[in-house]
Amino acid sequence: MISQNSETRSHKAQMVLDRFEKKLNRQMVGSLVSCVHCGLCTDSCHYVLANPGDPTYAPAYKADKIRKLFKRHFDWTGKVFPKWVKAGTVMTDEELEELKDTVFGKCTNCRRCTLNCPMGVDFATFNRMARGLLVSVGVMPEGVATVSKDQWEIGNQMGVLPEDYLDTLEWMSEEVSEELGDPAAVIPVDKMDADIVYTINPREVKYDPRSIADALKVFHAAKANWTMPSEGWDMTNFGLFSGDDDLGGAVARRVYEKTIELRGKCLVMSECGHGYRSTRCEGPNWAKFDIPFEMESSVDTMLRYIKEGRIKVDKSKNPDLVTFHDSCNNARSCGLTEEPRELLQLVCENFQEMVPNRAENFCCTGGGGAMSMTEYTPRRLKSAVIKADQMKATGAKIVVTTCHNCVDGLNDLIRHYKLDMKVTQLVNLVANALVWE
Amino acid sequence: MSEFTMEIDGVSLPLDEDGFLQEPDLWNEKVAQAFAAPEGIEGELTEEHWNVINYLREYYLKNQIAPMIRRLCKETGCNIKKIYELFPSGPAKGACKLAGLPKPTGCV
Repeated sequence: MISQNSETRSHKAQMVLDRFEKKLNRQMVGSLVSCVHCGLCTDSCHYVLANPGDPTYAPAYKADKIRKLFKRHFDWTGKVFPKWVKAGTVMTDEELEELKDTVFGKCTNCRRCTLNCPMGVDFATFNRMARGLLVSVGVMPEGVATVSKDQWEIGNQMGVLPEDYLDTLEWMSEEVSEELGDPAAVIPVDKMDADIVYTINPREVKYDPRSIADALKVFHAAKANWTMPSEGWDMTNFGLFSGDDDLGGAVARRVYEKTIELRGKCLVMSECGHGYRSTRCEGPNWAKFDIPFEMESSVDTMLRYIKEGRIKVDKSKNPDLVTFHDSCNNARSCGLTEEPRELLQLVCENFQEMVPNRAENFCCTGGGGAMSMTEYTPRRLKSAVIKADQMKATGAKIVVTTCHNCVDGLNDLIRHYKLDMKVTQLVNLVANALVWE
Repeated sequence: MSEFTMEIDGVSLPLDEDGFLQEPDLWNEKVAQAFAAPEGIEGELTEEHWNVINYLREYYLKNQIAPMIRRLCKETGCNIKKIYELFPSGPAKGACKLAGLPKPTGCV
């Protein structure tokens, strides 16, 4: 318990400090104590590069807003000589609002600074932790609250009702079977013992199910034993963005339990950066769940189908010059860098790398849930000049990405900076390149 | 509260930071037309545009949420390709904006 000044501290601020201690695992403490303020992180952040002269965007500056609380209340240095180590506390609800502005509005948790820190400070990890502390006392952007509520209560982040989801799958089945002239080209729902249980981002079903139709074509061409679940189909996870591990665990558990119920062999996630990271990498810890099945990105699945000769593709069907944008969550946090490139070059004739790329790529600027936080859109679009310049320099008219969130982030900046470019995903290119026999 | 506004007939209408109308009740047909050009729609809105816009408004005012594209296509008789042709920035960010709906929630 934090007792200092507790008689004048606001209830919310007191709760934040009380809950801080429970978050202090080895990884968190390592990052909180080891910053030497060398400033190398500064130039790695797209917010800093787009706002030179504004120190409030520097990762070390942002980190210190959280670090000061750790120093003051949990670290011996802050207790012995608080001024030397810039220890500080939080007393009022207004101060919590200021902290919210930093942790939600000035960082997309893209982790580029983390990779460029010689001391291994994982700022994004404790920035997420701070978000979680604020969320636990109800201090968060309205968009985060709305989406979290939908994911808790309706089971997916866009409030899609079960009948609407199933109706949309049926619709895509009708469209594809008609297009291919093959009544067997349909989406099997809740099929038991399938090799693949395919899960998606609600954005696909709500606004643009053409990616579902394209996935259906690929699975059908590969003669895959696959299914889409009637529940637990949303593999996105706002728990990653809000820092709420309970939400993260509940959402991931829904997907895992449905896969077990269907006795699926492999849980496949469609192209979504944070969904892949949440479900594949973080979810088992949040949900405290032993996973008895395989998990992979649809990028791996499609690549395997081509390598095993299960599908044939003709790259001349995608002749235009394309470039590739690495999703932060896929590339930096999960190491999914080579597979998408290999697949891309099997289905496209002309490919131009963006520079820098892979784990050094710049964020689409819509990461970390930023697309749902309207109040920060002007900052986001200003910081996107870095990404826009990077994209423009490739000379490509098409940018490919493996993340739905990046699709929307990139589309926003393309419009804002009037770039003559379009965004697409690998599933669209693979489906378009399919050779039917 | 956002500082962004749009002027229609001398009246200042508040917008959010993504440019969506903050009060769906303040919408009128001139608002839709004013949003058209920035969303990549050239010239006057056509009957096909209005068909989609009117359905979106009707659905939103009844349900307080944007419809699924499935319902939109079924009720308006447009296929997905047509929707994207009519509204180049898509149903969520384009068509909903013209119809005066608030920004759809989620990572879009």
